[in-house]
Formats: sequence, structure tokens, C-alpha cells
Amino acid sequence: MAGAAAPIRRGSRAATLVTSPSLRLIGRRVLTAVPILLGVSVLSFWVLDLIPGNAAQQLLGAEATPEQVAALEQRLGLDRPAVHRYLSWLGGALTGDLGTSLSSNQPATGLLWSHLAVTGELVLLAFVFSLGLAVPVALLAAHRPNGFFDRLSMIVSIGGLSVANYVLALLLVLVFAVQLAMFPAIGFVPLGESVGENLRSLVLPAGAIAFPLFCFYTRFLRGDLVDQLQGEDYIVTARAKGIGTWQVLLRHAFRNSVFGLITVVGLNLGTLIGATVIIEQIFALPGLGQLLLQAINARDFVVVQACVVVFAVVAVLANLLADLLYAVLDPRIRYGGR
Amino acid sequence: MAVAEVATALRGQSRRRGRVRAPEIVAPAAILAVVVAACFLGPLVLPIAEPVGGNVLESYLPAFSPGHLLGTDPNGNDILSRVLHGGQSSLVVALAVNLIGLLVGGTLGALSGFVGGKTDTVIMRLLDVLIAFPSLVLTLAVAQSLGPSRTNTILALAFFSVPAFARVSRAATLRLRELPFMAAAELCGTPAWRVLARHLAPNIAPQLVTFGLLGMGIVIVIEGALSFLGLGIPAPAPSWGNMIALGQQSLSATPMLVVWPSAALFLTVLTFNVLGENLRSRWSRQ
Repeated sequence: MAGAAAPIRRGSRAATLVTSPSLRLIGRRVLTAVPILLGVSVLSFWVLDLIPGNAAQQLLGAEATPEQVAALEQRLGLDRPAVHRYLSWLGGALTGDLGTSLSSNQPATGLLWSHLAVTGELVLLAFVFSLGLAVPVALLAAHRPNGFFDRLSMIVSIGGLSVANYVLALLLVLVFAVQLAMFPAIGFVPLGESVGENLRSLVLPAGAIAFPLFCFYTRFLRGDLVDQLQGEDYIVTARAKGIGTWQVLLRHAFRNSVFGLITVVGLNLGTLIGATVIIEQIFALPGLGQLLLQAINARDFVVVQACVVVFAVVAVLANLLADLLYAVLDPRIRYGGR
Repeated sequence: MAVAEVATALRGQSRRRGRVRAPEIVAPAAILAVVVAACFLGPLVLPIAEPVGGNVLESYLPAFSPGHLLGTDPNGNDILSRVLHGGQSSLVVALAVNLIGLLVGGTLGALSGFVGGKTDTVIMRLLDVLIAFPSLVLTLAVAQSLGPSRTNTILALAFFSVPAFARVSRAATLRLRELPFMAAAELCGTPAWRVLARHLAPNIAPQLVTFGLLGMGIVIVIEGALSFLGLGIPAPAPSWGNMIALGQQSLSATPMLVVWPSAALFLTVLTFNVLGENLRSRWSRQ
């Protein structure tokens, strides 16, 4: 995403200050992320400003007198112009103050922090499951393209990509929680209480998120590996030298495919944290998604806004990180000064 | 050599005659036609009950009950009827969202790539902002802001289809711009709009259409998610998402309430994915 970076003028001060090509590249990419982050904050502010009628009226209910509505509007600052409100909100956001929840009167930043860990753990587990399985499966599939295992993995992948994660989640609950009673159907045990129970409570939700991802990564990695095996000179050279098939696959093809995989993983993080919203709802996990849905139902637009912005910022930063990692790992980009 | 090749080609042709030309495309397309016909014509032709306003005394009927082939839900509504009517919503929403994406996003991307320069940078930066959002999260916020309804679901989802189509269309345009026939058209003095409409559009259309087929699957899944969370199609009206949500409440006792809409969702999305995928690989081979 930031890969198609806007050209920054060569003579700009930021570019001349730094001389190392890697650092310069990192600086350039970080600079392009800033306008995107600003845009994301403007957009989320604007979208929530669309709420029909007015927020104060909805918070107080239909019986509220106009005086009460006006008083609440003044207290919340809703009587000020939107640009004014955005700027003061942005000022607060930059210093870590995302406002005060309308329903619980707690600072939104504190609420976010207390829910962040669960979502973070869920996402991390989903990545571990999906990548941990996708890499060996893709390697096995690419080892014999169009062989039995390859075809089987392709069928599983396209099926897995067509299953909605909420359907998969309910299916997992039905089989592993209701029928086999191996895992709890809902609920969350904090890591501090019991590590084993904590993992047990996250296996099904993480699995529901991880399976479609696993399918996606398998397809991607398998396709990339096969493309290389069939068309690249260094593969021919390696084979001509008499290097074994597995060695060629692991040392020559896979190491090149890792770059593409990193980018895809970074791009996916946005979709992934979107998926946590619905999965947390199904499994009653106290994460950011649950906070967002509760805030939506309570019409607590301060917290909704804080959640939306945090989700978006994490997605932008993940893209940036993937981009940087890609640049730092691949010498052609590091020195090419693309 | 040449003769042998021609002979082989001819033999290949004669052998193929009388068989389906491209089974990997015809089969999913046929299944899709059946799904669409079932959803839109089924309720008109088949003797099934209305999807809403059922009798609570007839709730939780098992499958193959008289008059209710797939049984009834907790409100006494016919499940088959709700699955078919729910399919209508899903297909209409998905089609509308993808058409908006195709027309608006496709045009925007093609213009952006064709004009280039500052215009391109500005348009793509703006779209980057939209793409940066986790789609479900912003859709939830938009759906909540506008209130749950079919039109608003379409609007909320269009937020994402437009930038996605724009990217695909821009990438395709940039690739085409390098080709000689584009330069030839411009050298002939063809006006820009005509180059766009007559030379560019037909060439990027296949890519946009295959992308749109994959997009149909994605939108159906997200629409289901919105309805599942109660922010899509509002509750008494049937949709696969809110049927699954209703079934979730009694998942262990009556799992079939979840299974039927889930199966319909899976089959439809799978068909769109297979069709899109096979069309793409066919067109990229040509």
C-alpha cells in the first residue's frame, strides 16, 4: 500500500538529513503513512458525524426537553462546528486522550487498553495457527505440483476461502464444544489466571479466524513457489548443480517467496482485526471488538470513534511494518532506491 | 512438422465436438443460475409459506413436516422460504455493491491511471485512506450511523468496493497504456474519452468482471456478518445473516436452524469464487 509511495522530492530536508539508504527508505515510507493516518481520522470522524438526528437527543431519549438536549450538547461540545470539534479531538488523540465514554464515564483510552490484550492474543494465535500450517502445506504442495496432495490442498483452500468465519465459528462450537466438549463454547480466562485454560478458551475463536487465512496463505505461497520453480534461472542453475528437490525448494525458492508472504500478511491484518469483531461477539471474548459493538449498541459515539481509529491505525501501521520489513530484507529494494 | 501440428489441432477439435467447451466455467455458472432461479422464482412457483408472520404454535417443526420442507424457526416461519427470500437480499445487495464498485471505482481507477500525474496521486491517496480501514469495522460504524436497512447496507459496503475496483482498474490501465495500440489511437487524434471508452474499457473489462465475481462472494459474507450483528437487514425480514444469528441462540438443541442458511451461504459464495477463479485463469491463459 505504502509500496506505491508518493515520490518525495529529492531535495527535501528529510531526505538529505539521512544518508544511509535503508534509513532514508524507512523515513520516506513513514512520511507517506502520516497523511493516510490523518485521512483515516478525518474519515472516521466524518462518518460518525453522519448520525441522523442528533446524538444528544438519542442519548436522552424522546421525552427529553429541548433545554435538556441543549445542555447536553453544550457539555459534549456538540454545539461547536465540526472542524473545531475534529481539531480538538485530534489534539487530544495525539496526547493519548480519546475522550470520555458517554455510557460509563471512563476515559476511552483506558477502556481500549483494558480490551486490547485479548484481541492482541487472539490475532497472534490466529497468525501462529495459520502461518504455522500454511508454510509446510504449501511446501508439500509445491514439491509435486498437480500431484495428489497439491490438488487436495487446492480443494480445501477454495472451500476454506468460501466459508464465512462466523459460520465456521458456529460449526466449531457445534462439533468441539457441544458434541465433543473438548473446548468451552464461550468465555475467556485471563492469561494471569491459568495459561492452559486461557489457551483452551482461545483455541476455537483463533481457529475460526485462522482457517480462512491458512487457506489464503497456502494458495498464495504455493502459487509463488510453483511460479519460481517453473520459470526462474536460479532454480535451473541450482538443479543443474545437482541440488536435491527439497533443498532447492527450501533454500532457493522459499527464501524468495517469504518477501511476498510478508506483504500479504501485513495487508491481511486489517481484515483480520475486522474478523475479530464478530468472532469475539460469538465467543463472548472481552476484546476490542466487543467494546466496539457494545459502544455501537449504547450509541456511545466517543468510544466507537476511538475503536474505529485504533483499528484503522493498527491496520495502517501493519502495512507500513510489512513494507519496511520487505525493504530491509530485500537488498534489491534496500539499495535500488525505488 | 507444421502439418502434424495442424493435424493434431484438428483432431483435438473434432474430439472436443459434442462436449461442453469449458466445463470448469459452465458448471459453476449453471449452479449459479439454479441458485438465482431458486431464490427469485422459487417463492413464486413453489407452494411455500410466507417468510414472515408465521404462527408461534408451529415453531421448531422438524424437516419434512407437512407444508414445511425444512421445518420452521422459533417464530414459526418456514425455513425454506426464509432461506430463499434471504438469498434474494444477499444477491441484490451483493450485485448492487459490486455494480457501484465496478462503475464508480472502475471509472475512477481508469481515469486516474490514464491521466496520471497529480490527479492520479490525489485520487490514489484518497482511496488509500479507505483501503486502510478494516472493512467490517467501518461498515459497522456506517451502518450504525445510517440505521439498519437494505439501502444503507449497500451504501456502507460500497465504501469498500469503490476503492478496491479502482485499484484493479488503475493497475490494468497502467499496463495497457504501455501497449502500441494505445499510442496508435492517440496518434490518430482520437479524443481521450473515445480512447477510454473504445480502447481501454473493453480491455480492462474482463479483469474487472472476474474481480467482481470474487467480490460478490466477499460482499455476501460481509452482508451476512452485518445482518448477524443486527446492523444489516433488520430482523423480521429474512437474511442468511440474521437467520444464523437466530439459530445461534439454540445451537445445541436445533443446529439445523444454523445449518440451512450457512449451507446456502457457503454454496453461493463457493460458486462465485470457483467461477471467478476459473474465468481468471482462462482469461490469463489467452
